[in-house]
Amino acid sequence: MKIAISYPPIINQDGQKAMVSQNRNVQFFKKPTYLLPVIHAQAATWLRDLGYDIYWDDGNSQLKNLEKWYQDLLKEKPDIVVFESTTPVMKFYWRMIDKLKSDLPRCIVIMTGYHSMRKPKETLSNSQTDIVLKSNHIDFALQKLIPFIDAHSDWRNSCRIEGLMIRRDDNDFLDTGNFKQVEPLDLSPDIDRNLVQWNNYAYENGNFMQTPGTYATSVIRDCMFGKCTFCRYNGPELTFSMRSVQKSLDEYQRLIEDYGAKEIFDDSGVWYRGAEAREFAKGIVERGLHKRDCYFGFNTRFGYFDEETMALLSKANFRFVLIGLEAADEETLTRLNKGYGPDDVENNLRLFTKYGLFPHLTIMVGYYWQSREQLKNTIMTVENLMFKGFARTLQVTLCTPLDFTPYHEECIESGVLLTEDYNDFDMSKVIVKTPIPHGEYYAAIRRMYGIAFHPKFIFQQLRFLVRFKKKDWQFLFVYGIRAIRRVRQHIFNLTKYQKHRTNITPSKI
Amino acid sequence: MFHKVLNIRDLSPSTYVLRLERKKLAFKPGQCFNLGLKGLGINREYSVYSGSNDPYLEFLIKEVRKGSVSSALRKVKPGEEVAVHGPYGAFIINIEKLKNTLFTFISTGTGIAPFHSFVKTYPKLDYRIINGIRTGEERYDYNDYDHKRLTTCITRDDCWNGFKGRVTDYIQNNYFDPTHIYFLCGNQRMIREGYDLLRLKGVSGDNIFTEAFF
Repeated sequence: MKIAISYPPIINQDGQKAMVSQNRNVQFFKKPTYLLPVIHAQAATWLRDLGYDIYWDDGNSQLKNLEKWYQDLLKEKPDIVVFESTTPVMKFYWRMIDKLKSDLPRCIVIMTGYHSMRKPKETLSNSQTDIVLKSNHIDFALQKLIPFIDAHSDWRNSCRIEGLMIRRDDNDFLDTGNFKQVEPLDLSPDIDRNLVQWNNYAYENGNFMQTPGTYATSVIRDCMFGKCTFCRYNGPELTFSMRSVQKSLDEYQRLIEDYGAKEIFDDSGVWYRGAEAREFAKGIVERGLHKRDCYFGFNTRFGYFDEETMALLSKANFRFVLIGLEAADEETLTRLNKGYGPDDVENNLRLFTKYGLFPHLTIMVGYYWQSREQLKNTIMTVENLMFKGFARTLQVTLCTPLDFTPYHEECIESGVLLTEDYNDFDMSKVIVKTPIPHGEYYAAIRRMYGIAFHPKFIFQQLRFLVRFKKKDWQFLFVYGIRAIRRVRQHIFNLTKYQKHRTNITPSKI
Repeated sequence: MFHKVLNIRDLSPSTYVLRLERKKLAFKPGQCFNLGLKGLGINREYSVYSGSNDPYLEFLIKEVRKGSVSSALRKVKPGEEVAVHGPYGAFIINIEKLKNTLFTFISTGTGIAPFHSFVKTYPKLDYRIINGIRTGEERYDYNDYDHKRLTTCITRDDCWNGFKGRVTDYIQNNYFDPTHIYFLCGNQRMIREGYDLLRLKGVSGDNIFTEAFF
């Protein structure tokens, strides 16, 4: 059997490409960032190891246009195609799947991802999709499902593998129940870098200061906290699984020695903490990997690291720490279930910076309750942290309810959603009713991205140079140039609706 | 938010119950809170141990060797404050099912904490607990449970007259009713293996709820 794991290049009216980016959200970018879909890459590797023919089909990273991507897929004649869904591209997927099924009627289409996972019937009803995975353990689910389909011609009726919804007929769907929530991650293989053409993802990524960079096989699935209301790694059906430290260290060693990786990032919702984090950092040092000119990075939360652990991470040549500062006021942090208070932020960032780590803040604006005062508080806090050098880079996004997360459900229940058109959920505009005009959130984004060019921020970066650390000099010259290139794009993406106020009207509901 | 420590009750060299003032904080049994020391900037998640009607908040905490928070919390004096964020989580009982459902709670170590909260909050709960521990000393607050409903599985105590072995050994060798609702809380390995065993015994994945401790 031939299995295609496919990401079609989706281009919007502004000529921007849909990128499955942080938290598996789709955003449209002109200058793309190619992120390796880690769990799908593990699934591809596992299925290949089981003897299946894999067609790794990421039209974005392979620089194809939609037509070329589609024609290539038809030529391959896969028996099964696997897609990854998220809210803003659902309508595209449904149309495209129907076309694919008319061109390749025998091909089985499997939809994965956090949107269809929570609304499996919707995708089966709106398209000719054959199976929806209700599981976030896509690799584990597929390595059971594909051999079953291969061995059972009556799989539509006989399959009882948990975590699936299977089309038996036009309106008859078989639900195989809840999926297994904790899987032994060590059983899922390390990604075969050649199979997924890792080089296609090694350069165009704004988070890499050195290239080639790559994403490690994630050590946590999905998030050990898993309670933040806006995040898709949250729900009664989700818990977390952890990979062993030694297995992950083995992979880092291979990535450095066999592939020459210069920056390795782990995109787990939240990386190790406590004993595992310390064991990992010590392992890097014991193996001498901290002296191989390769930086390491991860996502974390405020309140997860003590000073001893941060010092060890620094010694092990960790650099990039991506950390969510969703807001600066207590009320918003509480409503988002963030699990920390505003006071924790500066304490943590001061220590990260003391040990030479580069915190990258991910900020959000546009919550349906966010007042002018709260927004101002966020801006002032971010400016203060950036000017003091406690954070080195940032990204700002509009908080968009997505994939039926608790925040999304809350917006629906509160009647604040301004649209039900999934195309509007692409994070490019505010789509909720807010207490202040939407334009103020766009202005806040512009101001926070503008920090990169503020004399106080630049002065602080120059001060770092006297530490005579290579990464500080790289930051100024490599990241600085990249900032000029990307910041303009981010401002365009996130404020293009500012001049039109908003193109969402309640009448669309 | 800061809450005063009311007392710390030592249960064993490694385990204690931290009692905090309640301050009218509402929660559902099974949820967790983030606890940390004032000004430390670091916190950890703990399932609530007390019932939702108790006038205080309690947490069953195992002191982790070289742990930053669990050790520090044990040293806090009554009257001092700790940072509390929460409650969080959906590892809770659907109260519509309270009357006509049999619940089986399976835990390892301090994973019994949310079940203690269930039992204290819902006095008419029809439940059974299978708890896995290493020694008899770890049967914390044994008298808070109906002894007939509690099965203790002990791995490292030769004098123990009850079931000797892991929780998963017990599941493997005993009947488990597929119509019950199952809650699993504790280490990942137990949850993974316990889930598989329950599925083999005919329990639907829809009736199994898990909370992994880490």
